[in-house]
Amino acid sequence: MTGNQDEDGAGILRLTLYVAGQTPKSVAAIRNLERICAEHLGSDSYAIEVVDLRVSPHLAREHNIVAIPTLVRQLPVPIQKIIGDLSDTQKVLVSLQVDREG
Amino acid sequence: MSAPELSELRRRLAEAEDTLRAIREGEVDALVVRSVEREQVFHLVGGDETYRAFMESMELGAAALDADGRLLYVNAALPGLLGVPAGMLESQGLLETLGVAGAALRDLLAPEQNCRRSAEVTLQLDGRQRHLLVTAAPLPLPYGEGHALTFTDITQRLDAVAREESERIGRAIMASAIEAVAVCDAQGIVSHASPAATQMLGVSPLGRPFSEAFPLAFAPGAGAMDAGDLVAVALRGGAARAMEATLRTAQRTRDILLSVSPLRKAGGAVGGCIVTLMDVSERRALEKRQELLMRELDHRMKNMLALVLSISARTLEGATGLQDFAERFTQRLSALAATQDLLAGKVLSGLSLQQLIAAEVAPYVSALSARISMQGLEVEVSRDAAVALGLVFHELVTNAVKYGALSNESGRVSILGQRLQDGGLEILWEEAGGPPVRPPARRGFGETVIARGLGQFAGGGTTVEYRPEGVTCRMLLTAESLG
Repeated sequence: MTGNQDEDGAGILRLTLYVAGQTPKSVAAIRNLERICAEHLGSDSYAIEVVDLRVSPHLAREHNIVAIPTLVRQLPVPIQKIIGDLSDTQKVLVSLQVDREG
Repeated sequence: MSAPELSELRRRLAEAEDTLRAIREGEVDALVVRSVEREQVFHLVGGDETYRAFMESMELGAAALDADGRLLYVNAALPGLLGVPAGMLESQGLLETLGVAGAALRDLLAPEQNCRRSAEVTLQLDGRQRHLLVTAAPLPLPYGEGHALTFTDITQRLDAVAREESERIGRAIMASAIEAVAVCDAQGIVSHASPAATQMLGVSPLGRPFSEAFPLAFAPGAGAMDAGDLVAVALRGGAARAMEATLRTAQRTRDILLSVSPLRKAGGAVGGCIVTLMDVSERRALEKRQELLMRELDHRMKNMLALVLSISARTLEGATGLQDFAERFTQRLSALAATQDLLAGKVLSGLSLQQLIAAEVAPYVSALSARISMQGLEVEVSRDAAVALGLVFHELVTNAVKYGALSNESGRVSILGQRLQDGGLEILWEEAGGPPVRPPARRGFGETVIARGLGQFAGGGTTVEYRPEGVTCRMLLTAESLG
């Protein structure tokens, strides 16, 4: 799910999506994120990691995740969180500030 | 508080508010709950909801009960299967609503039944039976063990099994029925036929209109014009029993007793008809023969009475006194009775002249005696001829015993039968060796019987000659009077 593996690349959008197995909202969030990235981001401008908290619940601690699904924009700073299944594309794009970044 | 700290607090507050909003608006379906040791993921509705939707869409009835049999969950299909309003199960409880059937289910829920098990229950719905297979399995609940119940409607399956069994019995009945049985569909086409029906026709009637396959003719006034009308009556729901008809096939004509009744499908609609045909030809033939015999018996009784009256009158004419009358009359009736005895014993096979004459001669002299010679008498005679001949020979024998060849020790009688060209028979009674014969002064009953008897009863004639050397009597029997 990574558009670009270069972690040090300037302007890279680094995203982490926290899900809980195959719940409907988790599955919807993964698909919506794939679609938004494909439609609005260049293939080498972002990197996405999907974390299944059912498998590794302790990873919730790093970003203080409470609700699932949650998308965390790690880079660029400051960290941004988008809670929900990412079905509102405009809201996602605004939160990620991709219009400005990319 | 510094500006950065305030900014951080504001950010965290905004994040907390956003999280609450997302939960409230159903944008998330799981939460991470952090305890001292570890984080745990709790699903809000998502996973359960998927399974619940699955359960709701099933045709099977499903219910969850707690350990005490209280209803926790019931899917949408179950009230319909049980034929109760949806809210009734929640308000009254599943087992209670089912009544007797519910009591049977309690056994499935017994604590020692810690495995999957099934039972069949039967419910009365809208006047029809519905058979349900109920399966119970242990259901882990957050606060203990419960029961997961599924209800499968097996009515159709059982009905199909019952139908198959019923058809099998029907086929067995058809195969073993002595009567010919034909089943017609709604168009009057023969769809089933018993082996007896095929045997009766010589060909299979299957696939042909009944009226064409069974060429029946009804007696006038029987009510049905033809077999087609009868089938039409049955297809309209009517029935007819024991109607007389004749069935003409290439081989033979049979007398038939026919019954027809509608064949009703489930629900009562007429889907065809059943026709039963009983072959009563033999019974009819027997009845006709009995009727003939009764008429014949009546006729003979009248003849016999006329004969007795005639014997009585003639004997009275020639009698010299009451004693003489009694003696002769008794002898003549005895002769008549002897012939009747012979005839009664020969109902089926014919009576021969030899036997008849031997019976008449027997009271006076053995038929095997050298004084009696019989030839050509192994000829069977009809009943009427036998009666007449019996009387004739009685008179000839008594006459010979009193005055003729059998009245002394040396006389002989020869009785000779000879076939004639026209199929008749001539019998010659010839006496010899007796005292000289003189013609009788007057014609007695004996002579009258001899002269007229055969003419009246056997259609032939007799000639008596009183020759001095012995009486001769020539009797002619027509071919019809021979057996």
